[in-house]
Amino acid sequence: MAAIECSNLSKRFGDVLAVDDLDLTIEDGEIFGFLGPNGAGKSTTIDILLDFVRPSSGAVSVMGHDAQTEGRTVRQRTGVLPDAYHVYDRLTGRQHVRFACEMKGVDDDPVALLDRTGVAGAADRRAGGYSKGMRQRLVLAMALVGDPDLLILDEPSTGLDPNGAREMREIIQAENDRGTTVFFSSHIMEQVEAVCDRVGIINEGHLVAENSIDGLRDATETGEILVVSVGHVDQTTVERVQSIEGVSGAAIEDGRVRLSVTGRSKFRVLESIDDAVGPIEDFEVIEASLEDLFARYTTGNQGDRM
Amino acid sequence: MSSLTVARKDFRDAIQSRALWALVLTFLVFSVITAYGYTEAPELFGGEAEATFGGLVFFLLAFTALFVPLVAIVVGYKSIAGERELGSIKLLLSLPTTRKQVFVGKVLGRGAVLMTGLSIGIVVGLLVGAVLIGSIDLYALVAFVGLTLLFTAVYAVIMVSISATTGSTTRATTYAIGFFLLFELIWDVVPLAIVYVVEGFSIPSEFPPWVYIVTQVSPSTAYSSGLLALLPDIADSLGENTGGGTAGDVGSGPEPFYQTPELGLVMLAFWLVVPLVVGYVRFERADL
Repeated sequence: MAAIECSNLSKRFGDVLAVDDLDLTIEDGEIFGFLGPNGAGKSTTIDILLDFVRPSSGAVSVMGHDAQTEGRTVRQRTGVLPDAYHVYDRLTGRQHVRFACEMKGVDDDPVALLDRTGVAGAADRRAGGYSKGMRQRLVLAMALVGDPDLLILDEPSTGLDPNGAREMREIIQAENDRGTTVFFSSHIMEQVEAVCDRVGIINEGHLVAENSIDGLRDATETGEILVVSVGHVDQTTVERVQSIEGVSGAAIEDGRVRLSVTGRSKFRVLESIDDAVGPIEDFEVIEASLEDLFARYTTGNQGDRM
Repeated sequence: MSSLTVARKDFRDAIQSRALWALVLTFLVFSVITAYGYTEAPELFGGEAEATFGGLVFFLLAFTALFVPLVAIVVGYKSIAGERELGSIKLLLSLPTTRKQVFVGKVLGRGAVLMTGLSIGIVVGLLVGAVLIGSIDLYALVAFVGLTLLFTAVYAVIMVSISATTGSTTRATTYAIGFFLLFELIWDVVPLAIVYVVEGFSIPSEFPPWVYIVTQVSPSTAYSSGLLALLPDIADSLGENTGGGTAGDVGSGPEPFYQTPELGLVMLAFWLVVPLVVGYVRFERADL
């Protein structure tokens, strides 16, 4: 049974078609990244999953239950970190989590959950005084109440520093290891890439791509950019690099070689450089940005489902 | 029952509001001053020469009839619209509950906050008055406190329901104040205006009986009539009339029920139910 299934989903706000005939299936047990630029329809889709917003047409089922008519059953088994939420300023972190426990009818320890998300130290302070990152951690702790079967996280790393974003990914991974399906939206590539089994890219209310990250990169032929230090670099070095299998272009950049890799693992290419050109002192991987991928999917003729 | 959990959380949240406690304190002070003023010089306040506990009850009523709606506006207007505007409603509705339960929980929570704060003020005021007068009418005390709690519940329902119809606190404020202006401040003029129009743009020498029903639509008028219905003897002794000026003396002769002060209780029941339905239906259908 699919964890989430949207079929022919549309949502119109006045003149704006926020979600346009969207079909989306998230399998049980996977981590699915939902990518898209601002205004693409990510949050509207998630709002429909949570029944904050009613679809104009189409149907959504979550864990086999209709999101509109059986929302309560759905949310009993779901942990949610919504977008554009606001905490109750006058209640403490502990009171927030305890409230979530009461609503779910479970007996979890609020402080243990807050400890897991890194804000146990502020458990007895009013949430109104929390920083954005602390609020995000607090709401994540609320989402983890009752060991949910599904986590729906809307832009989970908003307000988190890189360390916080990493901890967020570790929690997502740990929950997934326990069997929880994770559906999260983001506009930041690295976060999606680091944990997701599959991603879907939404633009103007349509799903324009649905694949693994590598699958997306391969399919769009965007390739990866490597910047390699191999001691002294001159034109001969560049030519030798260019002749290596899988290198589609190379140039000198600040005394290093910048090359793009297509159709071959970047590690194989690096090994080849090490063998054929000289010992690699250092290298940097510059991956295709989400913007690059979007550009591929939202302009030109790459819109076919893969 | 998640309504009760929502209500408890809402109560915990609201009772930490300084504005609310400032209002309750103001009410407490006014209620004590009113009781003191009345017992010291009842004739100054339009009562009879000697202060009685029953007189004090009717005297306080004039004060609660104005104060309850005002506090209800403060406590209620943001209850749902504010959560929608800020986005905390998303936190609430991400949990296993329904909009119906959230709505009912909000009504219960805000109702409990209002009733707690106001009953403290009233009871203290009445007890101070009882001590100063040197007597207490327990039936009048219970009837007045009970009816005032009903009136408070009615206003909690009205304000939370108004708040449930919109996601903007600006609009919720406009509706709440508009309701107060229309039904509490200018409602006295409305039946007259209707009569004026119905009678061909002239004021008749005798008002038709339905005018009384229209006057009772105002919740505070219905509340006052309700007290007349519950304490007819005291009302008689004070020479109170039903406020509409058309129904004659209380308890004198058989009258159709719609011309008796009991109609006030019916109107309060009306205001307890109708806003709930309207507010719930609007909230249930909204995109948050």
